[in-house]
Amino acid sequence: MESRQRRGSDLTGVIANTWNRFWFRPVDARRLAMVRILAGSLALLLAWSYAADLETWFGSGGIVNAEVLAAWRTATAVSIFDPLASGAAVWGMFLAGIVVLVMLLAGVATAVTAVTAALFWASLLNRGPMLAGAADDVMAVILWCLVVGRSGDCLSVGRLLADRVGRPTAAPSWRNRTALGLLRVHASAIAAAAVISQLKGDSWWNGTAAWWLAARDSARIDISGVLAGSEYLTNLITHAITLFEIGFAVLVWNGGTRRLAAWGGIIGWPLVGLLAGEPLWGMAMAILAVACLPEAGDE
Amino acid sequence: MLLALYLLGMVLCIAGNSASGSSALVETLQSRLFSPWMVPLWLDLGFDNRLTYGLPEDADHSLAVAPAAGGEGRRMRFPEALDRSERGARWRRLARAVVFAEDDADRAGVLPAAIAAGLFAKLGSEDLTVKVVRVVPAEFSAAATPAVEETPFEARIRRVDGAVQIIPVKPAGEVAPLVERK
Repeated sequence: MESRQRRGSDLTGVIANTWNRFWFRPVDARRLAMVRILAGSLALLLAWSYAADLETWFGSGGIVNAEVLAAWRTATAVSIFDPLASGAAVWGMFLAGIVVLVMLLAGVATAVTAVTAALFWASLLNRGPMLAGAADDVMAVILWCLVVGRSGDCLSVGRLLADRVGRPTAAPSWRNRTALGLLRVHASAIAAAAVISQLKGDSWWNGTAAWWLAARDSARIDISGVLAGSEYLTNLITHAITLFEIGFAVLVWNGGTRRLAAWGGIIGWPLVGLLAGEPLWGMAMAILAVACLPEAGDE
Repeated sequence: MLLALYLLGMVLCIAGNSASGSSALVETLQSRLFSPWMVPLWLDLGFDNRLTYGLPEDADHSLAVAPAAGGEGRRMRFPEALDRSERGARWRRLARAVVFAEDDADRAGVLPAAIAAGLFAKLGSEDLTVKVVRVVPAEFSAAATPAVEETPFEARIRRVDGAVQIIPVKPAGEVAPLVERK
């Protein structure tokens, strides 16, 4: 009886230790700072894709008007763009958001800019929900994860200024670990959700999905001619994508395979994105893969 | 190991089978407890990026807007041909949203009306034809066959006395043939 109780408390202790180690072991901000810089750059690219049509979509008399929003959004959806009536006001808010993203990228007042950037991003997407794509979704997750951590403690203007006045280097923080943990959980969950969704379609089972992706005009690399000539190659690429996604979702959880899975993701996701005509989604997934790389003390 | 596999399968079956009622329960819990605060943060996401099922709705969609009945004015296509930028991808999503919305009573017609209203001034006409065009690649088994252009949505949209009117244009196959009077 006593030994069973001891075994039970040992098991509880192991679970608690693993939980605490995964979420709360203090780590330095270098990895998260890399994620911040990459995410800031990609968010700027994604945001700028709105610029040319900003007034056509969101301006006074724009396509995404109040009636469209009432039909598309749920009651709780809000956007800081909603009350802006004139094109100039929309442009003003948009440019302010771009400035915030640049500040996040550079690491200026990161604690504030991370929150502001995430709010701006959510607002931009909520202003035109039918315009948002998979890359935008992943970017929203990354930006909110950056809010949790202290990514400005390293590789930032803030750190540079602190060095100049002789402030000591920031100590490792549990917040960085929590942010990286959240990014890893999302990386795995997003890959798993994608593959589950894909496997509901016949084209991913009969091996022709790669053809359907490559044959679209929007595909960034045109290999449709090569695929048309080889059924084996088409099947191989289709099944390789599925296996890659499953492998990534699973292997980031094993200490021995995590580095391989993360590097595979850094290289593989942009390639899948290029083939699928969604290169920025591929890059966003690669940023999540960067967050999955093991840190000192992990292996 | 077998027991664990069975339990995992059972959970997936229950969660994935809407007839069991579990999906409705999951949906209710999600919409009541999580959506109210996750939607504004753009975190209420399924991440179900299927990439393609090889269906016509997975093909590239675009919007073609022109003055109705051969009227005078500019013609525009969104995105422009071979625009593979992220901007082009946003226009393709908008065009696809027009088609999907036609199956939803609350959304049908809302977006095309807004598109036309937003473009009346730009095209110099208050009587427009709004079309969604999609280019559907041939089956893999007939890969050499050229892609087929389909028009899953077409409507004439005009503004009369300040009110926007939508007149759906049905494909020829769905319209009864004209019978000549003797």
